[in-house]
Amino acid sequence: MKRWAVLAAVLPLLTFAGAPAPACAQTKDALVVGLVAHAPTLDPHMHFERVGVLVNINMFDSLLHRNTKLEFEPSLATSWKALSDTQWEFKLRKGVKFHNGDTMTAEDVKYSFDRVLDPKKKSPQYGNIRAIKEVRVVDPETVVIVTDKPFPLLLERLVFFCIVPKKHVEAVGDQVFGTTAAVGTGPWKFVEWKRDQMIRLEAFDQHWRGRPPFKQLIFRAIPETATQVAEIKTGGVDIIRNVSADLVPELKTHPQAYISSTPILRVHSVELDMRSPPFDKKAVRQAANYAIDKQTVVQKLMAGLGRPVATTVQPQAFGYDPEVKAYPYDPKKAKELLAQAGYPNGVDVTLHSAAVEFRPVFEAICQMLTEVGIRATPKMWDPGPAWNKFFQTDGKATNGVYFSWGNYSVFDADALLHPLYHTEPGGWIGKWYTRVEGLDRPIDEARSSLDQAKRKRIYSQIQQMIREEAPSVFLWTQYDTLAISKRVEYAARPDEWLWLFDAKPKR
Amino acid sequence: MLTLVARRVIRLAVVLAGVSLVTFAILHVSGDPVSLMMPEAPEADRAALRQSMGFNKPLPVQFGRFVASIARGDFGQSFFHREPALPLVLERMPVTLLLTVLAMGLSLLVAVPIGILSAVRRNSVFDHGTTLVVFLGTSMPVFWTGIMLMLLFAVHLRLLPVSGWGSWAALVLPALTLASASTPLLLRIVRSSMLEVINLDYVRTARAKGVSEWLVICHHALVNAALPLVTVAGLQFGLLLGGAVVTETVFAVPGVGRLIVGAIRQLDFPIVQAGVFLLALIVVLVNFAVDMLYLYLNPQIRVR
Repeated sequence: MKRWAVLAAVLPLLTFAGAPAPACAQTKDALVVGLVAHAPTLDPHMHFERVGVLVNINMFDSLLHRNTKLEFEPSLATSWKALSDTQWEFKLRKGVKFHNGDTMTAEDVKYSFDRVLDPKKKSPQYGNIRAIKEVRVVDPETVVIVTDKPFPLLLERLVFFCIVPKKHVEAVGDQVFGTTAAVGTGPWKFVEWKRDQMIRLEAFDQHWRGRPPFKQLIFRAIPETATQVAEIKTGGVDIIRNVSADLVPELKTHPQAYISSTPILRVHSVELDMRSPPFDKKAVRQAANYAIDKQTVVQKLMAGLGRPVATTVQPQAFGYDPEVKAYPYDPKKAKELLAQAGYPNGVDVTLHSAAVEFRPVFEAICQMLTEVGIRATPKMWDPGPAWNKFFQTDGKATNGVYFSWGNYSVFDADALLHPLYHTEPGGWIGKWYTRVEGLDRPIDEARSSLDQAKRKRIYSQIQQMIREEAPSVFLWTQYDTLAISKRVEYAARPDEWLWLFDAKPKR
Repeated sequence: MLTLVARRVIRLAVVLAGVSLVTFAILHVSGDPVSLMMPEAPEADRAALRQSMGFNKPLPVQFGRFVASIARGDFGQSFFHREPALPLVLERMPVTLLLTVLAMGLSLLVAVPIGILSAVRRNSVFDHGTTLVVFLGTSMPVFWTGIMLMLLFAVHLRLLPVSGWGSWAALVLPALTLASASTPLLLRIVRSSMLEVINLDYVRTARAKGVSEWLVICHHALVNAALPLVTVAGLQFGLLLGGAVVTETVFAVPGVGRLIVGAIRQLDFPIVQAGVFLLALIVVLVNFAVDMLYLYLNPQIRVR
């Protein structure tokens, strides 16, 4: 009997190891957001995670802000103008306070750019602003940004480019700044970060826009969708993102929650391997485009939360040409084209994807292709290392890949065309197998011109060209779908941001 | 006795070395972290980073360096967090251990009395009922059990928090979920080993002496039936640590398992290596402790 007594005494002792702290009181004036994860740092310059951006924008301000109509608005910069093709002048807002009480000046703006442009800091956002050659301080309230060549995307890039306090960052160091001492000028200030649990922010009394309606803002990390949904149903969180189509009907009618949905910049497509048969033939690529009943997929499998598109260029992006029309659903035409291309009895292909949330959609696409004779085998990957290896090496994909592109939330055709179709090493797909002859030159041309009319013309040509060449099966845009607690008034934004200054308690 | 302990210690070292090698090998064939870290960068920049991280060296050389730094307690810098990997893992270890130990305790608390009762009342309605529940328990995957428990206790009955970590109430569902994975097997072991000893001569003798039935079962029989239970419980501990990976994800618990799963997706080698190494160390240590317990519980082994 003694031996058991010893055993029984040891077990409870062990449990001391990680006793949790007492629960924190969650009050009515707190807004709780459920995210799948936290970014590795609170430093807005040292990551490129969407979940990090969503936290950063509520703590930091950028020079420009984008409103819900997607127009640029003054933020830390009150006005701006182009001095020449490569020089932009920004007048800064006066008397803006950082959370630590310091006043924001041109020095802080210059410092913020310099630290991202400093190769020693290895900022993952370097690529976004590498076109900037220099930031010049004219006086405490004026800066001039100099680019190495005309850079039409500059203003877009400045919408998420947070300004950090020079003195403070230099004093505490990058590491501490990003983990326990983040200081910005935004509506909420940092209180605490329990990794993988919650980031707690508190309203900043001296914020230049005024006080945000919610006194506290909490970002919880909840990786599992089912858990996020259970949390919103029970009032544990107030906002969750990326609600999948199968959950929309249930949450739409739930007494605790409602759905807010809006078209975003994400576009779906099947990128085709143009290096090898059968998609080396234009007729087969076009046949694949005729084979997909886009409307039905959007209605039946995506809860209507999508919109068919003509090419991969988004209706919301600068450069979109509404005159370029989508391939209609025409299986007969598809079969004819396939026969013309030398495949009267059809052909076998394998398509790949890691878009796990869209598995039924991917399978439906393969089924529709199969029905016209392009017998497609879907190969689904977990979006982990195996997929990354597959996707990153030299595009070993046989035949094609179904995926979606988020345009980096930049409302310009370049944010899609360059990464997808350009063949230079920076491109994702273009460098491997979606290669349209003669497409690089117009992409480069449009990228380095500030003449918006000319850019628009070039983008029109490009869209006609890719529609005809069909390097991809063009599909649809995706909606961003939020589930929001009924006690909160908020609406999804086209840029997938959570700008929670706009969130209000419902009475 | 001493040689026995020494042999166990050597085995411990061999297992850890093996685990490190396997983790290292699997990670290095699974992809290029540099491409993940700099998706848009030109190839030249990537090559420079690869060189600075030592990825351009042959694999055996990399492994040699890796082992040498582990020996110094240095698992390297996390690619994703840009911080040393070991503290990141250690920071989350108490959470995982607490969860696992609680689940283990809960399992034993349920498995031992019910297992005994099933054995004593063999073929009764109670016994058959238990068998059925055990059968269900083993068939349900942990993540599903977790979601079902969450729906019942947190969403419908509103008795417990859905997820998170910050109160004892939040611990209940993850611990229950995890315990549901190990209880059935433990229960079966208790039942069958009790059945084995319950009809042996010495038990009959005890009864004949007029010892009360309760004492016969809980003392004479159980102590002898305990050996297989201890063995299996030790092995189950490793399984529970593995199960914690799933449970932590479902209930948003900030533990090591969740950290490792995230790190695998990001090809964050140092975190995965440090995490797997430490978990392996714990499993090995627990089994070591079980071996020692054996000596304690069964004097015969000591004599041999």
